[in-house]
Amino acid sequence: MLRYILVRLATAIPTLLGMSLVAFLIVALAPGDPVMMELRAMGIVPEPEDIAALRAEFGLDKALLQRYADWLWRALHFEFGTSVATGRPVMAEIALHLPATLALAASALIGAIAISLTLGSLAAVAGRYTGAGLRGLTILLVSVPSFWLALLLIYIFVLRLGWARLVGDGSLTDLVLPAITLSLAAGAALGRMVYERIRAEMSEDHVRLAIAKGLGPLQILTGHIAPRIAGPLATAWANAFGGLLGGAVIVESIFGWPGLGQLILQAIAQRDFPVIQAYLVLMGLIFFATSLAADLAVILSDPQLRRRLGDE
Amino acid sequence: MVDALQVSDLTVAVPGAPPLLDRLGFRIRPGERVGLVGASGCGKSLTAAALTGLLRPPLGIIGGVIRIDGQEVHDAAPKAWRQLRGRGIFQIFQSPGTALTPARRIRAQLAEAAGIAGSTQRRAVAHALEAVALDAHVADCFPYQLSGGMKQRVLIAMALILRPRILIADEPTTGLDVLTERDILAALGTMADETGAALLFISHDLRAVAEVANRTLVMAHGTVVEDAPIADLARSSAPAARQLAEAARALQTAC
Amino acid sequence: MSDRGSRIPGPRLIPRRLKLADPGRRPIGFALGVVLLAGFGLLALAPIVFDLPAPDEMDLLARLTGPSAAHPFGTDHLGRDVLARLIGAVPVSLGAALAAMAAILAISLPWGVVAGLAGGRVDAVMMRLADIIMAFPMLVLALAVIGFMGASLEASILGVAAAWWPSNARLVRALVLSASHRDFVRAAHLAGASRIRVVLRHVLPQVLPSLAVIISLETASVLLALSSLSFLGIGAQPPTPEWGAMLNEARPFFAQAPHMLIVPGLAVTLAVLAFNLVGEGMRSLLDKREPYRW
Repeated sequence: MLRYILVRLATAIPTLLGMSLVAFLIVALAPGDPVMMELRAMGIVPEPEDIAALRAEFGLDKALLQRYADWLWRALHFEFGTSVATGRPVMAEIALHLPATLALAASALIGAIAISLTLGSLAAVAGRYTGAGLRGLTILLVSVPSFWLALLLIYIFVLRLGWARLVGDGSLTDLVLPAITLSLAAGAALGRMVYERIRAEMSEDHVRLAIAKGLGPLQILTGHIAPRIAGPLATAWANAFGGLLGGAVIVESIFGWPGLGQLILQAIAQRDFPVIQAYLVLMGLIFFATSLAADLAVILSDPQLRRRLGDE
Repeated sequence: MVDALQVSDLTVAVPGAPPLLDRLGFRIRPGERVGLVGASGCGKSLTAAALTGLLRPPLGIIGGVIRIDGQEVHDAAPKAWRQLRGRGIFQIFQSPGTALTPARRIRAQLAEAAGIAGSTQRRAVAHALEAVALDAHVADCFPYQLSGGMKQRVLIAMALILRPRILIADEPTTGLDVLTERDILAALGTMADETGAALLFISHDLRAVAEVANRTLVMAHGTVVEDAPIADLARSSAPAARQLAEAARALQTAC
Repeated sequence: MSDRGSRIPGPRLIPRRLKLADPGRRPIGFALGVVLLAGFGLLALAPIVFDLPAPDEMDLLARLTGPSAAHPFGTDHLGRDVLARLIGAVPVSLGAALAAMAAILAISLPWGVVAGLAGGRVDAVMMRLADIIMAFPMLVLALAVIGFMGASLEASILGVAAAWWPSNARLVRALVLSASHRDFVRAAHLAGASRIRVVLRHVLPQVLPSLAVIISLETASVLLALSSLSFLGIGAQPPTPEWGAMLNEARPFFAQAPHMLIVPGLAVTLAVLAFNLVGEGMRSLLDKREPYRW
């Protein structure tokens, strides 16, 4: 098993390198003089006259591959330069706000898992009318934009009922509304997947035998269907987490939750390239790690694969 | 004595289409072993599905009566079926390879049956495995580790634990070699002897049926055309029955 | 052997005998979705037919008024008619979503088809490239693209297209793989049909219904993303009418003018709902395997 994990990590390296290349080259997409753009990416806003001198000073007259290597070396030490807007080191800014975003995404994921398991399994075993109704509800929840839902929730719970407040200092009670907003849409989307998976398993021969034995729906769901859908569900949860990391930006900006969302929006407004680049790299890294964990979970949930890899 | 199984005028179809089972009728007494033979596609598996309430929508029972132990079941609600399945009627399906849940050990799946039957799990599982001539360590295996014949015997062990009043075995030996077939038929016999269950043995192979049952039903085109002891089939008035008897005899003399 | 190719039946989109009595089978959702889409289409044409106030026409004396005869949905913070802006946003919001979808398909369709049919190393490399882009959370990548290009509607369309195409390419490839492994495709190959012919006459017709489902559902997702980006202020720029942007502009005022909170959000919801209903409806029409009843 250990050998498999090591091999898996090894094959992940080309992907990670590719991701770093994307993050490096994306600066080249920026319209405008490439040297200007790259100086901006390092946190320097030069006067036009100084560009040539700065070009030499910061090694921008070197070959592209060399520049990439230098950038990569710095990135591996988590040195992403200084922010154009605040002048502080980018990594310090991000480290300040990252935990809040992770907390929001994680709690939203837990909420989404709970909602999806309930909605999905109820819809799968319910009668024709209830099932159709639940599926309709799911499609509706998936269609409501998170920003509108957030505003509606604020209108009801903050302005009208006064149960929550909008001044975000990161305390746990302030997490509730933003997390609920995110988990409703994600929960509905995951619920759709749970429903489909359960329905697919319900047509399988081993479920037919379980029914023939006289087992009830709950026993069949937990004992015969759940082990089979655990793997695909883990993958779906990892993907959902990625979506939540992105969706957190919207919700954080509406609720004033002190996460990376506000940071990145400011950075876009002020063309603060070092921050944008670091954000892209770090979010990519986190998402990549969760996807890898999910892949391992898929392997572990299949007894045949588990035995085969365990023997190695 | 009430029949274990009584079927009259059973008609199964997709509503709006010609019937696939057409006014089927037969009875099985408690503890009796009966075969159900016929050419491929005549509706044998469909009959089994109808008897256990496992017809796949849009197929449905559109006419006739099914009584299990005197209780009418052809229009029973799902809850009633749940009570009946397992202890009243149980079915072993044709492809054992996919019948067992891949992610759980044999012990857990047999223990579930013990739970339904209300017996102590450990003892019931150990005894059942022994009765079908399977090694005790099989209980700790996953289905993928067992051969087709072993999996089929696990299903028979499951039937032994459940002690149904009627057991339907749908082509249990099809696709398996002759030696394995012998083991499975022996296991079936043991199961029927021990539990006193009525047995409906479905097959297209008359020889296998003859090992287990002495009376057989012959189906053709969705209806029963003959209901007689196996020895009398060659003299039957139904051409399908005569053909089957002749084919079986030809194979037997060839060996 | 004749090269005309035997008439191999394609999959039916609408099954021959649609059981309409069962509510699970009645295509209510699909019909509703089609009606909504048609409604939006008609709305887009409304300014041509009806004499509506211009979306940009400001009337600073009538700011933030509620619904009235002159302004059925009221006015916004600059005195502009909300209904006119809502209708004016239809070509912008839906147009942007369709443009992004077109860009996505322009990349993902050839990518997926080539990878699926070529197999081997070509397939491995192409999928690895797609995986690299997919390793970033989608909205995060779109934000980065917008960040480097500067905020604008075009940048948001390109950002979304860049982030959404790889998952689409994977789906296309999966469809192509399952279609090309079917026996009748191999039979056509053996009968001497050229590869292009096999693709056009046998693989694509099998793939199209599932592809239609994917396109519909993904347009919904893209529309949601684009209006979110406009809401954040980094998509459509004022004074362009766009539903998400309208909600953003209304944010400081919704305590005083709640009507501005409801309508643009409802518009986005209904448009996204339409595409989702159409996609899900098509999917359940195609899926005929019924589970056992327990």
